[in-house]
Amino acid sequence: MNELIRDPITARWIIVPMDSSADTVHFATEIHSKNKDNCPFCYGSETMTPPEIVAHRKSGGANTPNWSVRVVPNKFPALRIEGEFERQGIGVFDMMSGVGAHEVIIDTPDHFRDMADLTHAEAEEVVWAYRARSLDLRKDKRFKYILIFKNYGRSAGASLEHPHSQLIALPIVPKRVHEEMEGAAKYYDYKERCVFCDIVREELEENERIIYNDDRFIAFCPYVSRFAYEVWILPKKHSSDFANIDRDCVACFAKALRDSLARIKGFLKDPAYNFIIHTSPINGHEREDYHWHVEIMPKLSKVAGFEWGSGFYVNPVLPYIAAKNLMSVAIPEK
Amino acid sequence: MPELRRDPVIGRWVIISTERSKRPDQFASALVEKEELAPGERCPFCEGNEDMTLPEIYAIRRPGEPPNGPGWESRVIPSISPLLQIEGNLDRHGHGMYDLMNARGAHEIVVEAPRHIEEAELSREQVGRSVNVILDRIQDLEKDRDIKYVLVFKNYGKAAGGGHIRHARTQIIGTPVNLKRIKEELEGTKAYFDYKDRCVFCDMIKQELQAGKRVVAESKYFVALAAFASRFPFETWILPKEHSCDFYKVDRKKIPDFTELTMTVIAKMRKVIGNFPFNFILHTAPFRRDSGKRGYWETIESDYHWHFEILPMLTRVAGFEWGSGFYINPLPPEDACKAVRDAQVTI
Repeated sequence: MNELIRDPITARWIIVPMDSSADTVHFATEIHSKNKDNCPFCYGSETMTPPEIVAHRKSGGANTPNWSVRVVPNKFPALRIEGEFERQGIGVFDMMSGVGAHEVIIDTPDHFRDMADLTHAEAEEVVWAYRARSLDLRKDKRFKYILIFKNYGRSAGASLEHPHSQLIALPIVPKRVHEEMEGAAKYYDYKERCVFCDIVREELEENERIIYNDDRFIAFCPYVSRFAYEVWILPKKHSSDFANIDRDCVACFAKALRDSLARIKGFLKDPAYNFIIHTSPINGHEREDYHWHVEIMPKLSKVAGFEWGSGFYVNPVLPYIAAKNLMSVAIPEK
Repeated sequence: MPELRRDPVIGRWVIISTERSKRPDQFASALVEKEELAPGERCPFCEGNEDMTLPEIYAIRRPGEPPNGPGWESRVIPSISPLLQIEGNLDRHGHGMYDLMNARGAHEIVVEAPRHIEEAELSREQVGRSVNVILDRIQDLEKDRDIKYVLVFKNYGKAAGGGHIRHARTQIIGTPVNLKRIKEELEGTKAYFDYKDRCVFCDMIKQELQAGKRVVAESKYFVALAAFASRFPFETWILPKEHSCDFYKVDRKKIPDFTELTMTVIAKMRKVIGNFPFNFILHTAPFRRDSGKRGYWETIESDYHWHFEILPMLTRVAGFEWGSGFYINPLPPEDACKAVRDAQVTI
């Protein structure tokens, strides 16, 4: 027997099993090619990418090896940085020019170590790069939103195997973000509390689905998970804007992120996944009703006609079982 | 320069990416895989294997053949692993800050042929029969007061979430709440109607028939369009030319016309991109049970327009799409339309 749960933020319904019979759900394993020939993101291939925007390196000049994190423009950008932002209409249809930024953050020079395998210090460097790019791009007044995300594995949409994250700066606030902001604002209007702060409180109180917990960050399998083994990471202190993250928080966040990914990799045998940093649109001030966070979505099954047609999701694994399983694996300490 | 296009109904933006573009014939990579029935595995949907399914809900059988045995042309059975169940009650309740209810509803499978054949092998008669059976089922489910919406869809091929058994079938799910995805559409069509006093889909059809460059095929009563803001390469919508909000009230005399157009469009698409994985989804108005409700219910009969969406799964939805609700489509719909329209097929 199944049960329907409603996400208090976006009001989407999720179908979950009522009992723990799904404890042993089996998923197809993701196949990784493990081939670094002609990889444009490895040492020595720096000229295969467009010239770098920024890199962390101890020695040597731009676009040479010995970097630890490297940010380059996407060679096949979804949006172009040059040009004016124009809107036009043709009858019932509306169009805009595709102005925006599309950057690639190469997480590590090591082709075979994803973020789950990095040390906490290495993961922290990647987070610093996210923050720096985010702060820099918001100076461009054409942009309204900065989306930072990662596709790992072919099923999650990664076209290159070398571990990397992506950043897209958009001239409009995307629909999903808008929906989430609206849902959070409605909750705030009604309760005068941030819905995400309430979720954190509830998770801490129930203490059944937590997979990471320190002074500043918490990671858990949310009660309203859309996907099996979905994980959210939130700062405990209310803040709507990821780019305002401070020095101590960067270290804790990197740890929470690395550890969560390491647990997912360990228990689910290196699955494909997406993670997305959900943050508020660029507008210069902190919002009371929104709370930045990361959503990690392992790609274990295919989205089918039912999900496309309904906006309903089917999650075969109860979140508390997912959390228990994720906690059962050992992960590197550092 | 890439172009951002906005879906006029739900306001979803799509990036038509010229940087990543390929020619229409270069998308034929994600072909549907071969069937993987395990040795000795029987197909539960084949004639003669009726014992493998739950008792049938409905069937078109030859006269004198008893239920749950051979002798049928089309058979409707409950899903063996239903997402929603017909028994029990809704029992809405809360858990802390969350809302829950029992998964009450319906989940049925329409088996479209007694022989073990795939969608592409169905005859025109079989497809037409299947459409009629689906209409019968929706009309029946409408009588269940707990069901607010009926979703009809097909998952074809693994990439589209289809199962490993390749026996032609369609799924029907009756849900106890209105669907978020449909609500978004209803809100969009209502807003357009409030402003213009016209149906946005009717306006779109008129404009597209005039412009012509996104018309894939046309019949007497229906039209197939490459959606202006296609999320996926070769995304195609099939709409009735005449305004109507409920699929299940369609004039059954129009079914042969609908069947022929749909089969022609899919055959043409196969000619260009091979045996492609896809989802086929009905979008129709919810059952109108709560009279006196305001909002999108007031003008729904005038502002909403039922249609089917064919969503080929040739590209993968990645983090960007999940995070933003923005889609990146590497193929301009006009190019997809031209390739499909020009393909010569006989069905």
